[in-house]
Amino acid sequence: MTEPTPRRSELTAHLAHDFRNALSCIHQFGNILVDGLAGELSDEQREYVRIMLENASKIRKLLDSALEGTADSQENSTNKIERVSKLET
Amino acid sequence: MDSRKILIVDDNADIRLGMHLRLKANQYETFFAADALSGVAEARKHRPDLIILDLGLPGGDGFTVMESLKQIPFLAVIPIIVVSARDGLGTQKRACDAGAKAFLQKPVNDDELLAVIRQALGEPAGTKKPTLYDQGSV
Repeated sequence: MTEPTPRRSELTAHLAHDFRNALSCIHQFGNILVDGLAGELSDEQREYVRIMLENASKIRKLLDSALEGTADSQENSTNKIERVSKLET
Repeated sequence: MDSRKILIVDDNADIRLGMHLRLKANQYETFFAADALSGVAEARKHRPDLIILDLGLPGGDGFTVMESLKQIPFLAVIPIIVVSARDGLGTQKRACDAGAKAFLQKPVNDDELLAVIRQALGEPAGTKKPTLYDQGSV
């Protein structure tokens, strides 16, 4: 696996930030609909919003897993650099 | 009893609207700001009971807002809840060190947000009906 460069880490952080904001809106408004804050939904409409929210949650979990992987990889990379520095001194 | 006033400082208009709808349904009065400068200005104008603050803002970030509020005695005492899409524990620690009562990462669980607000305002725990998201089924 390619190790993250500082530029890539920055890009990943930006992407994660934008994904979370977009997901936040989906969750907020999905729950507003489900809770009837914008009027009562029919059972069918409620089911469709539930599917939408369920899939938004899946994306969130995927994002968290992907970020954990990136963080682990970055930590390994930092450890490797530290080990090399120690060997060189 | 008058509704408690909450200032929402977030540069995303959709998130401001979503929070407004949720807070209004829970009998809070809301005010808004979309950048750091107007965040402080709106706080001066409305003297809210609580501030919900995003970190990534135009014209200075949420930490700048917290720093500015601290300089004004009647605003320094307002509890602040940071709600941000930024990464993890480092940001949470920095926000709490800067004086935030709580840090919540987006997307925010509605029940958790309301519980934190009520706690910060010294109100009894609420009885909002759990959402599908809150129940963990989505």
